Amino acid sequence: MRSLVKRSIFLIITAVIIASMIWLFFALIPESPLSELESAQEAIAKARDHNSVIYSGKTYREARSYYDSAMISWKTENKRFILFRDYERARMFASISEKKAAEATKTTISKANDMRENLDSEIKRLTVRIKDFERLFSSVPVPQEIKKKHAKGKLLLKEAVIAFNKGEYVTGSVKIAEANEYLTDSYAFANDKLTAYYKNYSRWQEWASKTIRESRERGSYAIVVEKIPGVCYLYHKGEKKYTFEVEFGKNWMGDKVSKGDNATPEGRYKITKKLSNGATKYHKALLINYPNEQDLEEFRVMVQSGKLPSGTKIGGLIEIHGEGGRGGNWTEGCVALRNSDMDVLFKYAGHGTPVTIIGSSVPLNEFMSSR
Amino acid sequence: MKNRFFLVVATVAAVVLMTSCGKVPQADIDAANAAISAAKTAQADIYLPVEFAALNDSMTVITQSVEAQKSKLFKNFKTVKVQAGALTTLAGQIATNAAVKKDEVKLEAETMLASVKTLLADNQALILKAPKGKEGKAVLDEIKGEMTVIETSINDAQALYDGGTNYMQVLDKVKAANEALTAINTELNDAIAKVKR
Repeated sequence: MRSLVKRSIFLIITAVIIASMIWLFFALIPESPLSELESAQEAIAKARDHNSVIYSGKTYREARSYYDSAMISWKTENKRFILFRDYERARMFASISEKKAAEATKTTISKANDMRENLDSEIKRLTVRIKDFERLFSSVPVPQEIKKKHAKGKLLLKEAVIAFNKGEYVTGSVKIAEANEYLTDSYAFANDKLTAYYKNYSRWQEWASKTIRESRERGSYAIVVEKIPGVCYLYHKGEKKYTFEVEFGKNWMGDKVSKGDNATPEGRYKITKKLSNGATKYHKALLINYPNEQDLEEFRVMVQSGKLPSGTKIGGLIEIHGEGGRGGNWTEGCVALRNSDMDVLFKYAGHGTPVTIIGSSVPLNEFMSSR
Repeated sequence: MKNRFFLVVATVAAVVLMTSCGKVPQADIDAANAAISAAKTAQADIYLPVEFAALNDSMTVITQSVEAQKSKLFKNFKTVKVQAGALTTLAGQIATNAAVKKDEVKLEAETMLASVKTLLADNQALILKAPKGKEGKAVLDEIKGEMTVIETSINDAQALYDGGTNYMQVLDKVKAANEALTAINTELNDAIAKVKR
């Protein structure tokens, strides 16, 4: 009986020891870093969905790299005996990965917002720039290359708007930067050309006011032609009587310098001959005294200074004539009116009637803000 | 003797059971990876980017599950096997859907390319009819220049289309050209209508 009791106690103690050992074995098995890795992966997926690879590429790549390190560490530890495994490094890498991914998301949101706002304001700015260019410089004779730059800029702006509407701000920003380059170049060229042309504004003002004053004082007719608005005014006794639309030489912006330059001269001239009834191929014509003394002097200086090659001719036979209304500037330097307008002008203008040709009577700043 | 026999049988059964569930279903995982690669080859990353990202996320989950099971004393990869099988099926489906989407975008790009080419030709014809009044010729010259640039862009889009790498890019380019040509078309038609009135 006593030995049975002893045996039972021995068995119970053995069972308890074995159970304790089993419990201890399981208790010593380290917990896997699954939850940390899951959190890191969720953070990376969130960063990726926010396009962090584009906006915060370096931090995003770091997050991925730390995640990979965590996985490698986890796999390496899993190859060891179960009780000797240590997942702390895997946990540490996973934690850094999660933080980096969160940082990438935060930076991305901020950068994407900034980029969206910048893109939005750039789209608005360049849209205004295009309108300004077309409003101000549509008649400015700029080279085809500049016009193409403007058109290319316009098209790129449209592509930028499409990218913007799709939320592709990086693509949009690339497109807008290209558009900006083209549009800024074309605008600057046209603006510089117009500004340079306006350097003569004080002379234009002086010539026009002198002509109008003389018309008033003498009670006579006078013609003032303005190139930028493309108009011809007939004055009588200092009062504007008629306004006609006119067309000029192809290279109208600037003073005539020499024969064949397709420019319309600027200055104070007089009508020297009236041509009609088959004496001109342009319906009716009023020949002016180009080159006048000032033109001849300026031409001589330019040839002497070498700005014009020797042997260059100054040209002549500049007329105000009919056959206008074709659209654009097509003459070789003359001023063209519609035939019906030419009839009116021809009726009032006579031999010696002053003809003053200027760029514009409107100052540059007023022209830029009024159109 | 009888008890010992049962103990041996139970131990063998337990070992068999444990080893049968404790093997990584590598073939299933490889099949899932291959299916994801096939989806990428079908350009799912371009035409169905969200779905493709989800495939990669699922593969990450499977990799995590494998290691999680390996971390345990009693491993059970049954769930992993099921997950890998499901992912293989899903990846195959996404590859098919991507191919369908690609065909749709290709067709849309093709239709739009044809449409902008027609619009370009229409505009070129309208230019001849447009009035050339005051500043009219200058405006028409500008429009002609603009259309030359648009034509170049359409040719670029056609080259992209012929390359066949990304029809989405073709669409974006053609959409911009279409907008520009439509604006010119309206401008020209308005100018012609004004003269007729």
